[in-house]
Amino acid sequence: MRILLAEDDPQLGDGLRAGLRQRGFLVDWVRDGEAAERELRSAAYAAAVLDLGLPRMDGLEVLASVRRARVTVPVLVLTARDGVPDRIRGLDSGADDYVVKPVDLDELAARLRALVRRAHGQPQEGLSVQDVTLDPAARSVQLGGEAVTLSAREFDVLHALMLNVGRVLSREQIEQHVYSWGQEVESNAIEVHIHHLRRKLGSGFIQTVRGVGYLVPRERPSR
Amino acid sequence: MRPLSQTFSQSFSLTLLQPRSLQARLLILVVSVMAGVWLATSLLTWFDARHEIDELLDGHLAQAASLLVVQQGHESAPPSAASALHPDGRYPDAPLLHRYSPRVAYQVFRGGQLVTRSANAPHSPMIDLGEHFDSGFRTVTLDSPSGRAPGAPLVATRWRVFATRDADKGVQVYIGERSDSRSEILRAVLRSTLWPMLLSLPLLALAAWWAIYRGVAPLRRLGRQLARRQPQALHPVVISNAPAEMRPMLDALNQLFGRIRQLMEAERRFTADAAHELRTPIAAIRTQAQVALGEPDAAERRHALLATLEGCDRATRLVEQLLTLSRLEAGADTGLEAIDLHALARHVVADLAPQALDKGQELELERDQEPGAAPDAEGPATVRGNATLLAVLLRNLVDNAIRYSPVGAAVQIRLTVRDGEVTLRVEDSGPGLAAADLDRLGERFFRVLGSGQPGSGLGWSIAKRVAAVHQFSLETGRSPRLGGLMVSLRCPSVTASG
Repeated sequence: MRILLAEDDPQLGDGLRAGLRQRGFLVDWVRDGEAAERELRSAAYAAAVLDLGLPRMDGLEVLASVRRARVTVPVLVLTARDGVPDRIRGLDSGADDYVVKPVDLDELAARLRALVRRAHGQPQEGLSVQDVTLDPAARSVQLGGEAVTLSAREFDVLHALMLNVGRVLSREQIEQHVYSWGQEVESNAIEVHIHHLRRKLGSGFIQTVRGVGYLVPRERPSR
Repeated sequence: MRPLSQTFSQSFSLTLLQPRSLQARLLILVVSVMAGVWLATSLLTWFDARHEIDELLDGHLAQAASLLVVQQGHESAPPSAASALHPDGRYPDAPLLHRYSPRVAYQVFRGGQLVTRSANAPHSPMIDLGEHFDSGFRTVTLDSPSGRAPGAPLVATRWRVFATRDADKGVQVYIGERSDSRSEILRAVLRSTLWPMLLSLPLLALAAWWAIYRGVAPLRRLGRQLARRQPQALHPVVISNAPAEMRPMLDALNQLFGRIRQLMEAERRFTADAAHELRTPIAAIRTQAQVALGEPDAAERRHALLATLEGCDRATRLVEQLLTLSRLEAGADTGLEAIDLHALARHVVADLAPQALDKGQELELERDQEPGAAPDAEGPATVRGNATLLAVLLRNLVDNAIRYSPVGAAVQIRLTVRDGEVTLRVEDSGPGLAAADLDRLGERFFRVLGSGQPGSGLGWSIAKRVAAVHQFSLETGRSPRLGGLMVSLRCPSVTASG
């Protein structure tokens, strides 16, 4: 899952990036409000962690601006402003969650997963399509009750497809979900991951729509 | 320790003379004054009336005496019909007819013989006349009947007696009046004038009580308002129609409330700001520690642990700055002494040099030559100040310059002594500051955004505060030589001996 982190404090930003990476997120880190707004508008992120006291553009302004632009990406506000009026203002400006510093990394990760899940209309933590279940917290996948071993990248690709079950994702869209900045994307990397996933989960689980992309259908095709 | 009795009597008299309530105090004062005036009036009336009555009655006595003399002069052949000799051959007694008559007595002698007397008069002359006595008043004590009845026992009574004589006819007249009858008249006069006053005294006291009660009503309202206030309430006290005498008190009170409100507001804001400011370094420490805990890679773990330590240092520095600032704002003791600013600057620059070297910056301290001074002459640049605080100020200025200037930049500290003024300039070749940022510099926790430096913005607040405490001027601007920020500290110089 690719997350945007907007935090101007170098030590805290560094720590959050490292901690969220440990917990299986792909993290892109911006240090000012303008960059945060630009990146949020790109819609490449499953969720965002937004500090409020950002240089150049205040976090609340960023939030209000992207919400006006109908960007629906879930945003978790992480801030030192702990007053109840601050929380209310934050949530009313379009934040999906409001967390006061300092925060436990595991809790932050869980909150982010919950935000992403809700954004995709999933009531439960685990994703379940056909006979495949995916647990984002444990980063584990089961096929018909049997654990399947996936690489981190394969897991991310599968997670993206299962979150968007029944919808076609282009290769670029999958790449956005799976690679953060500075990570080299080989031209056929997604094809390779899809190939591996098909081998591990059965060929019919991920369908190819030629010239468009890939999708995981709700029901396995009868044929 | 004072004896108990003394303490008691003292407190007793104090409570009596200085009662707790203003109302009672005023009432006691007013009633005392009224009673005093009343008493003085009574005394004056007493003396005046006595004098007038004495004069009047003495006049009557004298007139009556001369009438008697004249009458005796006409009665050539004694005894007249009216005063025929008593059957026992004695001289006749004039009857006591009037109720008042026992109080008056007279005797008439002719040629030394008692011719006539009132019933209550003795047989011998009422006054033992001396050789040269002609006529006049005496106050004597005589035995006279205690009642009107003929057989009443005799008692000693004070009499006012007038004696006069007609030398040609050998008539000697004594006429006396009981002194106590005069006192009675006096008392009656006083009664008639003083009773109404005495009666009116309680009424006046009541009226005074009411008037004072009305008069001190604003005070009572103030007391009630103050008692009703919440202990933490700091809004101004408003008393409608407060009298002019209460205005200064109310104004002082409201000013005090205002000052306390400001102080508490500043305190509250400071605490909130400080807590807020501490959250970020603490969050960084916690996050980095948690990253280290879950990191399998040794190099990554080390990185996180180093960041944790760095965060601790940063939090420590912030706490120190907060403490310094709070001490400064509380108006901590600033013992002023003569300080060589040059020596102090050398010390601070030496302390911070490693930091500048780490960033590859060129840090230097130089002294501008005074005009007319020998080329090598470097006297001390003495100012009056607190060494500890000024060191904190200089450290903040130089530290800021190093911290916010990029790698390889130049940081210069220049000291000038000219025209009785020591000027210390800290200049750098860093990015400088926009005009808007320059304005906001020194607002507590204001931090120049995008500097990429962890900082609280407190350093500037501290520097400004220290300068203010010393009444030194602290200005910021663009460095003409290096192009970055220039901060000038200007202090009046003092002679080294001073």
